[in-house]
Amino acid sequence: MTEHADPHQPHLGYDGYPVADHGHGIGKYIAVFVALCLLTFCSFFTYTDFWRHTMPVGVGWAFMMAVSCTKAMLVVMFFMHLKYEADWKYVLTIPASIMSLFLLFALVPDVGLRVRKYSEERFEHVGTTQDVHELERASAEEQHAEHPAGGAHSAAPAAPAAAHH
Amino acid sequence: MADHSHPPKLEYQPALPLPNGKLFMWLFLSTEIMFFAALIGTYIVLRFGALTWPTPHAVHLSEPIGAFNTFVLICSSVTIVLALESARANKSGAAKFWLALTLALGSLFLGVKMFEYNAKFSHGIYPRYPRSLVYEKPDLIYGSAVRLRAQELIAPIAKKQETERTDEDKERLPLLTELRDQASTADPHALVSLAARIMPLPPAGSHEHLHGMNDHYSWLRMPVVIPGGNMWASTYFLLTGFHALHVLIGLIVFAIMLTMQLNVRSAGVIENVGLYWHFVDLVWIFLFPLLYLF
Repeated sequence: MTEHADPHQPHLGYDGYPVADHGHGIGKYIAVFVALCLLTFCSFFTYTDFWRHTMPVGVGWAFMMAVSCTKAMLVVMFFMHLKYEADWKYVLTIPASIMSLFLLFALVPDVGLRVRKYSEERFEHVGTTQDVHELERASAEEQHAEHPAGGAHSAAPAAPAAAHH
Repeated sequence: MADHSHPPKLEYQPALPLPNGKLFMWLFLSTEIMFFAALIGTYIVLRFGALTWPTPHAVHLSEPIGAFNTFVLICSSVTIVLALESARANKSGAAKFWLALTLALGSLFLGVKMFEYNAKFSHGIYPRYPRSLVYEKPDLIYGSAVRLRAQELIAPIAKKQETERTDEDKERLPLLTELRDQASTADPHALVSLAARIMPLPPAGSHEHLHGMNDHYSWLRMPVVIPGGNMWASTYFLLTGFHALHVLIGLIVFAIMLTMQLNVRSAGVIENVGLYWHFVDLVWIFLFPLLYLF
């Protein structure tokens, strides 16, 4: 006569502690792996010219954060087995997450909005968007001067004697 | 009258239904969540509060390399979970194989990271000013820094007699003299051109790495202008440095565990180390888009 496990008794894991039965097949992990790879590709897709030319920057950022959060949830739930753990998981994870958010908000007035309190002298020594535009324009001119026919950008610059001023 | 009754026998009941090791690991991870959330949160607040922030290509970051490293860490997360499953099934050999593969993948991640760091160092981008060669704008301070560097390179050549100078010296001297003269101007447009010559800034949205004089003459190592570059370098090296440190610690633990018998009795240890490793993966999941794609 075979012994049947009591359905009311919790299933004990290898360490003698009760665990929810979440199977031992590797199929689930492979499926999560494939999903993570696809999501990484989705993030990387925002790098393409197609995305940059068709989507506003803010949409790209929101999309990437959404993808990252989804990936994080997959890792936490399946690889870290939090989906199958008892309610103690909330005791450890939620306070830590709330503290992290508090810190983020606490930084905004002094760090996030620091530029509003810059002195005139500080503004004189900080790189601005205008500096970026000027450098980009000058860089394009330099590249054009070195390779007027649109040659490879890695070619050596003009000899010192012939360098322009 | 003597009391012969025995005190009630107390039985230990754990407050939480999980082993001490796992409880410790989760407590540790909750502090790690706050640690990395503080670092990433500060990065976000600094980055969006900055007047300007360099594009990935302005600081020689390569998105495909970052994506490759993400893929490597995801693979390592799968292999560690397969090591745990093998140990639970009491297959020690298979568990060791998956753990060794995790170690190899983690090492590959660190190797790629070292390659990336080297690319920054070779362009004079270090974690902190003034050791870094990065300047915020092409102004008089920048011109002075270029002049000083040119003079530093000219001095040993100038000391030599004309006949003692090598072909290399003769090639370098006119270039350095010209750079020093160009950096001596107070004309802001000339200084912008000089900065663009030394290290050009690719236009926003461009995937190109433009090459300047610092790339063509590796001995030159002139100061460069990257608006917002110093803050970027500080946050980039801090975030990726702490992450790499965590990876390194994980790899050391893997190497130690490979000397153990990885049967069902070691499954608890593998699970705890696996939790740590998944957390390391989790942090990179957020670092990759924030550093490489934003």
